[in-house]
Amino acid sequence: MANAFVAAFEILSFGAIIVLIVLGLGIIASMMGIFNFAQGEFVLLGAYITYLAYAKGLPIWAGMVAAPFVVGALGFVLEALIIRRFYAAPIVAMLGTYALGLIIREAVRGLIGGFYLTVPEPIGGSIDIGAMHISAWRFTIIVITLLVMGLCYLLLSRTSFGLRVRATLENPSLARASGISTPLIYGATFAFGAALAGLAGALIVPVFSLFADLGLRFLIQGFVAVMVGGVGSFIGPVAGAGVIGTLSAALPWVMAPVVADVLVFVLAIVFIKFRPQGLIAGKGV
Amino acid sequence: MLKPMSVVREAIVADADDEADGAMAKGTAAERANDRVKAGRKILPIIEGLVLLAALLAPLVLQDYLTVFATRVIILALFALSFDLVWGYAGIMSFGQALFFGSAGYGVALLARDLDITNIFLVLPAGTLIGLTFALLLGGFLLLGRHPSSVIFVSLGTLTGSYAADRLARGWYYLGGQNGIPSIAPMSLGGYDFTEGPAFYYLVLGILVVVYLLCRFLVRSQFGLALAGLRENEQRIAFFGYKAQHLKAIIFTIGGAIAGLAGSLYAFHEGFVWPNMVGVVVSTQVVLYVLFGGSGTLIGAVIGAVIVEGVSFWLSDNYRDIWPIILGLLLLLVILFRPLGLISFVLGERERVGSFGAKVKETRNAP
Repeated sequence: MANAFVAAFEILSFGAIIVLIVLGLGIIASMMGIFNFAQGEFVLLGAYITYLAYAKGLPIWAGMVAAPFVVGALGFVLEALIIRRFYAAPIVAMLGTYALGLIIREAVRGLIGGFYLTVPEPIGGSIDIGAMHISAWRFTIIVITLLVMGLCYLLLSRTSFGLRVRATLENPSLARASGISTPLIYGATFAFGAALAGLAGALIVPVFSLFADLGLRFLIQGFVAVMVGGVGSFIGPVAGAGVIGTLSAALPWVMAPVVADVLVFVLAIVFIKFRPQGLIAGKGV
Repeated sequence: MLKPMSVVREAIVADADDEADGAMAKGTAAERANDRVKAGRKILPIIEGLVLLAALLAPLVLQDYLTVFATRVIILALFALSFDLVWGYAGIMSFGQALFFGSAGYGVALLARDLDITNIFLVLPAGTLIGLTFALLLGGFLLLGRHPSSVIFVSLGTLTGSYAADRLARGWYYLGGQNGIPSIAPMSLGGYDFTEGPAFYYLVLGILVVVYLLCRFLVRSQFGLALAGLRENEQRIAFFGYKAQHLKAIIFTIGGAIAGLAGSLYAFHEGFVWPNMVGVVVSTQVVLYVLFGGSGTLIGAVIGAVIVEGVSFWLSDNYRDIWPIILGLLLLLVILFRPLGLISFVLGERERVGSFGAKVKETRNAP
């Protein structure tokens, strides 16, 4: 019983991490039609900023709060300078964002060297439930993920900003004709997606420690999750992330980890092949 | 079954002209187009000849350790050729080309390790066949089917395939896990062992030239023209009665076979294989070569591989840390401002679309 509970918690906590990372990726892919290869490096930057705050003696919380804003601002600038040119061509967008990601990743690698740097958890210790102990920080991540997910949903479905974003997604020319500044909306959406990645990086760095390939590790899982969930809506990629995250964490409990690792990808690709629209089809929230 | 090629060619050329000469007067457009065709025809063989000459002379002027390096570059150029066929001609974004490169490398490494087979006439065909089989399976699955697959799906599918293979190789004890398979016996012919050096260099160069000529013949045939049409306007080619998905699957498989050949040569030249060889790193490396050099011109892929590897070899001594950053910046600049790569400085865009084959009819542009 205790074992099953610990397993369930592990699965849930890994699922939450994947959802957190995919949120930004999914919003950019769904709302802008761009598969952002630099997203993993935005995660890495978030992690790096948190580490920087810690290394400078500031409270870790300060770094975690600053990370999304800094990465979001960077995303806004990059969108205006570079990403904007790629909207018409999805493949070129992949290559261009890959080049961007390469630059960011190698710059961070130069800054930290080839090391694995650890950042302590801001909330240490464990929560005891009877004889079972679960990590307090992982529990916090689950809570924050749920909060962020809810807030994103409300932002897109209830606010006037969300309405503009959805209008721009569904029919850019009509949105422009109605007086919505679509370039600004695209810029803001990309910045928002980048900020979410920054937040994800900041939150997971105590769990995975900081190394240059941190973002790369999650990028492909994130892409697969977005495709499984379905591009075009907010809820699709989140659902896909839930499924992929849960499977990746759950399968190693019942089979050899190597087989499980590969099986998740094979299952996902086969699923997308026969259901290209994903779990949740359609546009909107 | 197929439409006459001249019709297709005209359609493709018409597209290119519409883009290039939209604002120009029709009469001059035709003249200019033909001038450029003639110029392109003169320039391309000159470039090819110069590259071949440089490659032939290289071992005579290079020091031994540089010849070994040059051999590696030639093998990577062969690999780049395979990607150029798939992306540059057919417009299929294969982000997992290393899957075929690496799996063939692993295949021949296992042959050498477990069965003591190193005969060149056995291992190279075996490697080619491995690449071909994997490409046929993956390409068939991703590209064929009742509904045409989206470009995004194909590119992410190949990327995922390569990543999954990397993870599998890392975790599978039989394949050596993280360390890969070290100290592979050298490739042999009768009693002769191919070790690093000029002999290996000329062997690889000979293979590259043969494969290059085959590819050149292929892309200048009707098949190649239909491929270029796929890249420019897939729907139009489908309306002409071609089975676009079949064409794509065929070229993807051919690309996989060439990648397999390159991978088996690479495994024997380096003497070991390791998981990165099937993974995302090498997959994106080959994309870099072709984008730099210029996709859709075979020689561009070769030049791209030579330049990227050469400059990185030269810079990595002094600027090891910042070289990847420079590479990223250069790549970004090329994508933004020179989408057809460095070769486009000397070679017109017409070389990529329908300027080959029989002479372009001029009646089309006449008033």
